[in-house]
Amino acid sequence: MIVDSDSFLENVIGDYQMDSGLGPGAIVGTARINNQPVTLITNDARAINPRFRRVVYAGVIGLEEAYKMATAIFWTIASDHKKSLGEKRPIVLIVDTPGNGAGKLEEVLGIYNATGAYQLALAEARKMGHPVVATIIGRAISGGFLCHGMQADHILSLSKEFGTMIHVMPLTSIAKIIKTDIKRLEELAKTNPVFAAGVDFFYRLGGVEEIIRIEDLRQAIIRHIDAVREAKVAGQSEKLGPWGRGLLGAERDGRKTRLLVINRICEEFEAIAPKYLSI
Amino acid sequence: MKDMWTWDELQKSSFFEATARERANGLVDKGSFTELLGPRDRFSSPHLPMLGEAIAFDDGVVTGVGLLGKRPVFMISQEGRFIGGAVGEVGGAKMVATLKLALQAYEQVRKQYPDSYQEKLPAVVISFDTGGVRLHEANAGLLAHAEVMDQLHDALGKIPVIALIGGKVGCFGGMGFIAAAADVIIMSEQGRLGLTGPAVIEEEMGKNEFDADDKGLVYRTTGGKHKYILQDCNFLVADCIGAFRSQMVGVLKMPFVALEQFRRIGTLDLVKEQLALVKLATELRARDSMEFWKHFGNEDPGALPDLKLEEFLKTAKRRVRK
Repeated sequence: MIVDSDSFLENVIGDYQMDSGLGPGAIVGTARINNQPVTLITNDARAINPRFRRVVYAGVIGLEEAYKMATAIFWTIASDHKKSLGEKRPIVLIVDTPGNGAGKLEEVLGIYNATGAYQLALAEARKMGHPVVATIIGRAISGGFLCHGMQADHILSLSKEFGTMIHVMPLTSIAKIIKTDIKRLEELAKTNPVFAAGVDFFYRLGGVEEIIRIEDLRQAIIRHIDAVREAKVAGQSEKLGPWGRGLLGAERDGRKTRLLVINRICEEFEAIAPKYLSI
Repeated sequence: MKDMWTWDELQKSSFFEATARERANGLVDKGSFTELLGPRDRFSSPHLPMLGEAIAFDDGVVTGVGLLGKRPVFMISQEGRFIGGAVGEVGGAKMVATLKLALQAYEQVRKQYPDSYQEKLPAVVISFDTGGVRLHEANAGLLAHAEVMDQLHDALGKIPVIALIGGKVGCFGGMGFIAAAADVIIMSEQGRLGLTGPAVIEEEMGKNEFDADDKGLVYRTTGGKHKYILQDCNFLVADCIGAFRSQMVGVLKMPFVALEQFRRIGTLDLVKEQLALVKLATELRARDSMEFWKHFGNEDPGALPDLKLEEFLKTAKRRVRK
């Protein structure tokens, strides 16, 4: 319903072909939107990774999944490397993940390498000019969302009526770990966006550009791809990505302190810069 | 508090036991560290008091700039003793700002000294001692993680980014992703690098699969020696500030292009290398890191954890990188 009907070619990106057995928890490929190619990456909540079956299921982004997603991004960049800024193909991320895998092998091998690789690839694609738009249609949780979504130029989310959920951890777990009464947390959660789970809170912090309704899904994604592309071509990339959302957070009053801190540090450095930058 | 230690004393002090401020001061040249947005500015968390938590005037992270020879070093040193070094809104903003300053310094230096900028090339050093996102400020912490990664990505290829891991908390959560993205990782034996802490793994997998009380297991899963063998960290040093400093100085003496060999992620080729390692894991049906150590040529993997550092560095066989 997002892409042109029957246009999705799984595992194909440019001239590259992904090994079809790899990382079943993630789906990658090329689709068309208004007949233009886009790279599409999404979670598959129904798949189980047979090699990591105790950890990778229900949309978990495991080792293979994150490397597969990173590869898809690098192939996207390579496929369009000769294209001009305004012609780089969009990257559409559909987000529905409960997070990364908590498992022994994941720690032995360092799953942070996989998630970090995917984040770096997305940041690279964004800065090469690809419009990267992420849309949350289900769960966007912790490290999974951090690598699959939070490096995008723009982040959209279906409203909470659809069961979308953005958080680091459920309140019950937070209560246990920080040793605070769950009732107190629930009370505070009603008004303080800074730790309360949910789309609306994230929106207030600038973490989500727009909350959308399901009828508008396709049009909203197209609209944001166009807006992002326009901003890049106009040289206004600082309004995009994590930095842009930081500015949004200040605008929406959800994260006011952040900007004060950054400005203050810069001021303090200005005062002593000559000592460090000229010899 | 300068009267509590001298720089020379810091060199011999345990990195593990040191405070974030001691590490920051001891890592750069004597007397050269200027803290930015330190405790005097009292920029503490506006959110913690609401949850009945004590605040810290540096919000658990020491940021600032020092010198290594002529080169400005932008330092981020996390305080593991403050809420497990976890990252909230203020601390996160301090990290982002420090990275931004490093990049601005780079641009300035290149403009001012077009022919000799390499001599003054800034560097970023991050001493990680953190569990990741500060749950009391979960959303702000998570957003800060994404911002730090974005800034770090900007820095890669322009200025060296060095990660140091040797504190009590180690480097966990989303901050592990960031350490992984650095050009170089320097660890001590006591340092640990991972995503999920041992207690949570035990909870998820059961005590039979992973006993969080088994220190040996914990260290051979996420500890410095294991990461060194795997080539997941580049250098393994003794637990003292001077040893970390010495290795850092050594790395920064190398021409910038030489640092590429130390990276573990960031390009398609590196992803392929990592995927080969994942494939190896499934082929070996590995259940424990010692099976990898054996595969890489260590005939008596069980003996490795008890070896003293010097002996270990001489005898341990590491994974061969292409």
